Amino acid sequence: MKNGFVIFLAAFAVLASSWGAFVLAPQLQLGGAKQVTVLNSTDVYPASRPGEAAQGLQIYRANGCAACHTEQVQQDGVACDVVLSSAGKNPSVVSNLISTLKLEGITEEAAQAAADQITAAGGKVETHILATGPDIARGWGLRHSVAEDFLYDYPVQLGGLRIGPDLADVGRRLPDANWQLLHLYAPKSVVKGSLMPPFRYLFETKKIGSTPSPDALNLPKEFAPAAGYEVVPKPEAKHLAAYLLSLHADVPLYDAPFTQLSASTNAPANKP
Amino acid sequence: MSDETKTCSTDSGTEPTAARLHLPMWILVALLTLLYLGGIYFDHHSGWFDKQVYSPYSNAAMLESYQPKSGAAAALAAGRKSYEAVCGTCHGNDGLGKPGQAPQLAGSEWVNTKGHNRLAHIPLAGVSGPMQVAGKDWNMSMAAMGAALSDADLANVLTYIRGSWGNKAGEVTADDIKGIRSGMGGRPQMMTHDMLMAMPE
Amino acid sequence: MTVNEKQIDTSCRVPLLVLFGGAALWLVVGSVLALVASLTFHMPDKFGDCPWGTYGHLQPAADDALLYGFCIPAGLGVLLWIFARIGQTPLRGAMVPVVAAHLWHLGVLAGLVGIFVGDSTGFAWLEFPRGGSALLFFAYLLLGLWALMNFSGRNERGMFPSHWFLIAALFVFPWIYSTANILLVGWPVRGVVQAIIAWWFGNNLVFLWTSLVGIGAAFYFLPKFSGRPLHSYYYALFAFWTLLLFGSMRGVPVGAPVPAWLPALSAMNSLFLIVPVIAIAIIGWKTVRGGAGRECKGGSFCMIKFSFVAFILSALLLVTSACPHFSRLTQFTWFGAAQTQLQLYGFFAITMFGAIYHILPRAVGIEFAFPKLIRVQHWFAMAGIILFVVSLVIGGVVQGLKLQDPNVAFADSTKAMLPFLRASTMGLLFMLVANLLFTLNVIALIFAWKWSVAKTVFAFLISPLAKTEVKA
Repeated sequence: MKNGFVIFLAAFAVLASSWGAFVLAPQLQLGGAKQVTVLNSTDVYPASRPGEAAQGLQIYRANGCAACHTEQVQQDGVACDVVLSSAGKNPSVVSNLISTLKLEGITEEAAQAAADQITAAGGKVETHILATGPDIARGWGLRHSVAEDFLYDYPVQLGGLRIGPDLADVGRRLPDANWQLLHLYAPKSVVKGSLMPPFRYLFETKKIGSTPSPDALNLPKEFAPAAGYEVVPKPEAKHLAAYLLSLHADVPLYDAPFTQLSASTNAPANKP
Repeated sequence: MSDETKTCSTDSGTEPTAARLHLPMWILVALLTLLYLGGIYFDHHSGWFDKQVYSPYSNAAMLESYQPKSGAAAALAAGRKSYEAVCGTCHGNDGLGKPGQAPQLAGSEWVNTKGHNRLAHIPLAGVSGPMQVAGKDWNMSMAAMGAALSDADLANVLTYIRGSWGNKAGEVTADDIKGIRSGMGGRPQMMTHDMLMAMPE
Repeated sequence: MTVNEKQIDTSCRVPLLVLFGGAALWLVVGSVLALVASLTFHMPDKFGDCPWGTYGHLQPAADDALLYGFCIPAGLGVLLWIFARIGQTPLRGAMVPVVAAHLWHLGVLAGLVGIFVGDSTGFAWLEFPRGGSALLFFAYLLLGLWALMNFSGRNERGMFPSHWFLIAALFVFPWIYSTANILLVGWPVRGVVQAIIAWWFGNNLVFLWTSLVGIGAAFYFLPKFSGRPLHSYYYALFAFWTLLLFGSMRGVPVGAPVPAWLPALSAMNSLFLIVPVIAIAIIGWKTVRGGAGRECKGGSFCMIKFSFVAFILSALLLVTSACPHFSRLTQFTWFGAAQTQLQLYGFFAITMFGAIYHILPRAVGIEFAFPKLIRVQHWFAMAGIILFVVSLVIGGVVQGLKLQDPNVAFADSTKAMLPFLRASTMGLLFMLVANLLFTLNVIALIFAWKWSVAKTVFAFLISPLAKTEVKA
């Protein structure tokens, strides 16, 4: 290789293939993505974020929240639960059969086989599909994150380091705007031992006027301002809270299937 | 200016050169082995560029097998999808029909029947002429809107119609539709009120 | 030193002073920001009253100050000098790189201010808002084109392996930087394609660019210092192509919310990187081993040997973190941050320290004012980066084990990190001391040069006067 031009050409070829694989191909494959239909429903997903939440994304960006929080739920595997919906005419036969079968956390093939056996015995079953993995077990989401979750976001803030918990589905997990505001102002007031720095500059401490502001935070004593003062969220804080509440990645999609169970079993655990 | 004989100038010999020893064979063999193993890894994990396949799914077939498909809920949901695409325009997504376009299905005596033979003939062959639905007189014609649907799709649509908006008739299976379709022959004649009444419920 | 070599060295003087001087200042700025950012973990409550004091502002600013403020201008300066030396040709038109260097440093300043006022773009390694990044792009283009023109006009026509690495690096940056800025900032693409492009960009800049420039420089200095030929041309050729090919085709992490082929392709190429890493390690080992053995007491040779080992380790960490199960464990942990810091500081910055300590006195013709501090600086830099990387690699694995176990509350995974973060803060403190010592020497040299220039100018101004006096 005596010639600089040869190096140039070859480096060009290598970089062009890298560019083709990681810029052009993803853009061709996903750049024109549209809304998709939610499994078992005619609803479409995602909806674009409402105005306040969209402004909140800009607060999230400007403050570099993605330095500590990810927005990508991980899924390690998928499993099936076979659930008896009706025992049919021979309940004793079916229940005997069921006691001999493994029906939870099994593969789709095993679930199919078990369902066939039970159906043959006269029972009726439903197969539930469940995402598995530590993130799912922690309640951070119901399924892995997919491209559709971020269709209308700019900038997409996936993050890469979990100094704080994952936020991809935080709107389902912690749906209370007041909780979010309290947590932003004084994280320790709602989460004991939290290491998150407070974001007091998103709030205003001001003298209570003739009537207390309806937005004033209802803080526990050790975090409350001096008597006669109140803490009121600035618009930035409200927008940020609206954005956090808008983070819902909780519907089943073709590329991320799972069975939606009734609200009671899926109830959000109110923990951070 | 500084003294040229200081440390900074003592070590600068000639410019470096490169020896011309050839690459050992083992490193090329190692590279090829690695490329082979990498190919296996890619084959198992990539889903071969399918845009629907995400980790932890390894390919499109595995993803397809984990789509919810059993259970009445799945049939109803699939039926709703087809109904809203094919029938809802005239019969209404709420099943209440539209004046001058199509009669209501909610609470209709043609839907809430014990069997589903007559009901299935309507979308499969079409219907025309005077008939009474839920106490109202109609005299219009409907093409064989369901003939193009698959057995399973039509079964799902009928199951959905018979299980929604207060209707409480039983489900229809793909095998039922298959039987009815084959009984009708190649080019069925459009149904009338009398023809429907003449066949078993 | 032949007259020709002295000409070559002095021809680079002014551009190098601007590039290295500014880089040294940004190095200190970056490490102060990094240190303050890491204090957030030890006293989170103190950082809540002003926006620019939060981790989310400080950390990206610290990263960018290190990468754009120090690494790139230092690398470009070393590149200019190496081109001039191997090509046996004095640098022509030195004013162009001087202007470009000023534009570059201005761009870094604009970008950092942008981050602090909340104008960050929100993409890792690309945080600088438009104004700053446009300046950086044009400054790089100007400097890169000038370097290539000087390269094509070289007297010694033969090419040395360092040439390949450095030319490829010159070419990589404008390509990835323009792509990323156009598709992420100018006319943004939709959805996760943004994240994919940002990962691709970050990898090609933080891993590929620094590897090309740092290894290019090491392949020049290692044979030079050890007095032996590079071992060997064909090894280097092989390492170059495999590094470029596999190193550029990766970047998407394992669990990313993108179709599986992207993380699979990335992981596969990351694993392939083991091949160029082995080749590069053999080159370094066989070149240095049994060499003339120039005394290594914390001088340039010592630094470049250390940084070379740091590159091998950094690349091995990268390969390890792509292994099938380990990648799940370490993603989202401090493991990645440790690897990045090892790459940027342990490998690249220390290579640059070694190179600059060697180049600058020659180019300026003035010795460093505090030569003893060079050794002290090296010890602090080594201690700092070792402390930082070891604590965060172990901490990252511990954190990963806790994150992978759903029975461990999330807060415990954070708390378990605190001792490791304390150690890493100490590491940052050591690196700050090292950076201050480096900057002290560089700035003192610049002032010594300015003083000597001022004296010359002054002597020139008064000399006619003296003559007339004599005449009178």
